[in-house]
Amino acid sequence: MTELTRRTLLQTGAAVGALVSMPAILRAQAAPVRIGILQPVTGALAQDGEYGRLGAQIALDEINAAGGIKALGGAKLEVVFGDARSNPEGGTQEVERMEAEKVSAIVGGFASPIVLAASQAASRYNIPYICDVGVSDQIVNRGLTNTFRFGPGFGIVTSTALENLVKLNEAAGKPAKTVVVVHEDGLFGSGMAKLLQAQLPGRGFEILETIAHPTPSRDMSNVALRIRALNPDLVIPSSYYAEFVLLARTMQQQRIRPKGIYAILNGAASNFRFVKEFPDAANLVMDCNHWADPRKPKTAEVRRLAEAGGRFWLYNTPLNYSCVKLLADAIERAGSSDRAKITEALASSTFADHIMPYGPTKFVNGQNQGAAPVNTQVQNGDIKVIFPDAFSDAKPIFPAV
Amino acid sequence: MTGSARLPILIAVIVLALLPLGATSNTLLNFMTFALIVALAAQGWNLLGGYGGQFSFGHAAFFGTGAYAMGLLQVRFGLNPWAAMPVAMLLGAAVGWAIGFLAFRARLRGAYFALVTLAFAEVFRILANAWAFTGAAAGLLVPLKLQAANMQFEDKRLFYWLVLAFVAGALVLTAELARSRFGARLVALRENEDAARALGVDTLRVKLAAITLSAGVTAAAGGLYAQKSLYLDAAIAYGPWISVDALLAPIVGGLGTVFGPLIGALALLGLGELSKMALGNLFGGAVPGIDLIVFGILLILAVAFAPRGLLGLFDRLIRRPRPAEGGEATP
Repeated sequence: MTELTRRTLLQTGAAVGALVSMPAILRAQAAPVRIGILQPVTGALAQDGEYGRLGAQIALDEINAAGGIKALGGAKLEVVFGDARSNPEGGTQEVERMEAEKVSAIVGGFASPIVLAASQAASRYNIPYICDVGVSDQIVNRGLTNTFRFGPGFGIVTSTALENLVKLNEAAGKPAKTVVVVHEDGLFGSGMAKLLQAQLPGRGFEILETIAHPTPSRDMSNVALRIRALNPDLVIPSSYYAEFVLLARTMQQQRIRPKGIYAILNGAASNFRFVKEFPDAANLVMDCNHWADPRKPKTAEVRRLAEAGGRFWLYNTPLNYSCVKLLADAIERAGSSDRAKITEALASSTFADHIMPYGPTKFVNGQNQGAAPVNTQVQNGDIKVIFPDAFSDAKPIFPAV
Repeated sequence: MTGSARLPILIAVIVLALLPLGATSNTLLNFMTFALIVALAAQGWNLLGGYGGQFSFGHAAFFGTGAYAMGLLQVRFGLNPWAAMPVAMLLGAAVGWAIGFLAFRARLRGAYFALVTLAFAEVFRILANAWAFTGAAAGLLVPLKLQAANMQFEDKRLFYWLVLAFVAGALVLTAELARSRFGARLVALRENEDAARALGVDTLRVKLAAITLSAGVTAAAGGLYAQKSLYLDAAIAYGPWISVDALLAPIVGGLGTVFGPLIGALALLGLGELSKMALGNLFGGAVPGIDLIVFGILLILAVAFAPRGLLGLFDRLIRRPRPAEGGEATP
């Protein structure tokens, strides 16, 4: 009770003070808008969390340097950072803390379980929540009006990956007929494998075997030996970073050279760390994944800022950069730091000034309709976009041998 | 005897119950709810591990069964959560009995028993991760419907009090058990199983009863967790984190004591949260994970200087140190 009185007193005092000051000072003192940035920066997902956070920070710095939110008298965006500790309970606890710190919106989460738990916790306080990566379709199918996903979900990613694979193969004269699927046994890998088993045979591919492995796995030699024995035209891996790097290196050491490696949402194939550290193993690996639009000038600028700090260029960075920009645009249009107004502005967003290959934003039930993955390929130490043509900066090299 | 056991429980529960009335922060409330759920799981572990000396490394098997039962009964069978809760506890207890039957009948003790429980928990995790019925790797989402009839409360304090009621029940159960004939048999078995058998204690039966009870209590914690987070996947429900927390809390708090698991859980999780907040403010998140390093150092110090748990340390500080204790402290 005493605290409340004191706070009211302080607020009144501040208001009186502001009234008697110069109007210029009034503008300069516009109350900052607090933004929660939630990422798993410790635990198993720490690398992804760090890169996501980096993207958000670049966007926040850029917006503040350009004069903040103009509709709010140049109000600065103030970051409230939260570490989800790579588990849903950690995410929920951080949302509670962000609520106590009065954030206007939350961006991030990275992994589907964290996003599911955190966005639900945020919905209790009507805090708008923008999911950066989490692909589980449950995230936007629950009817939570506060939750928005800027990137593509599982359904879009898988159908795009499948369609592009067929197109790629046809354009090259159908060199690939037999396939081995290697996948991690979590949400994405298992779901992907099931879908491939159902869809690929109808599209002219024969699946020789589907090999599941847990995360983490410390040895991939059995998987590699199995691939050698089966000798497929195409290997489709859907795994996290360490496991795929291990697999690709083992395959290289054992001279297993399929006509192509076509990864789907792979943790490594679109990761410059892999490309820089193991250039031979990485060369010509293809991936269907989130990736920044290489033709937008802003992309190069954000990439330069990220790499200036000695970091690699990962998809987490441009995705989070774009999500924070999307949010800032919504706050600008809402003209308020009020949560309900920001949610409303997000729902009607047509934001196009992002660096993802999506086109203007349009949310239906919280899902950005234009969001889609692209196909990338490691070519001579660089990661190029090879598909779709509208965004590509290189031609696919397929078959690789 | 009765009075001396019940009065501290009553005081502790009243203090905890009054907490949300004084502090209005939802951050604290959410943390306390979670800590009490872990404490409940640890209380279950303590019945078997603390009193019975059977160290399980796989209480996740019971926690997860309780959690999944709670979720699946609601989502797949449309059961009301209030009705699902006792079923979840019974199912957890049944799993406990089954694992106990297999392990104890084979006379597995010590490290062997620990490894078998660990393996069972892992098997459950892999099954839940693969089976479509449990939602496989996509997990299980319990629909958000904020109604008291649905065990989801608009006011978070109500859920906190519900969890506290379970913890209070487990405290009373533990205190009663410690004084009972069954408790005496359990302790006898812990101290020397062969001697206990020679005295006519049916050790298999006592151990089976203990693991069944223990699993039931831990399953209740799982059920409450499912209702709190409304989302489950195999790594949450059957993951090793809860096995570790459930055994670490009693060890830190005081093995085989009524309050050990509760004090241990609050101290452990509280320390983790405090170090995160304090260091987060200090470094502004510039050094990710530094709180975990500090937490680890504090944990090592706690174990080094309080080998009999916080309750043991408390004992040692307020009472005159007995000569025997100096010898016990060195491993």
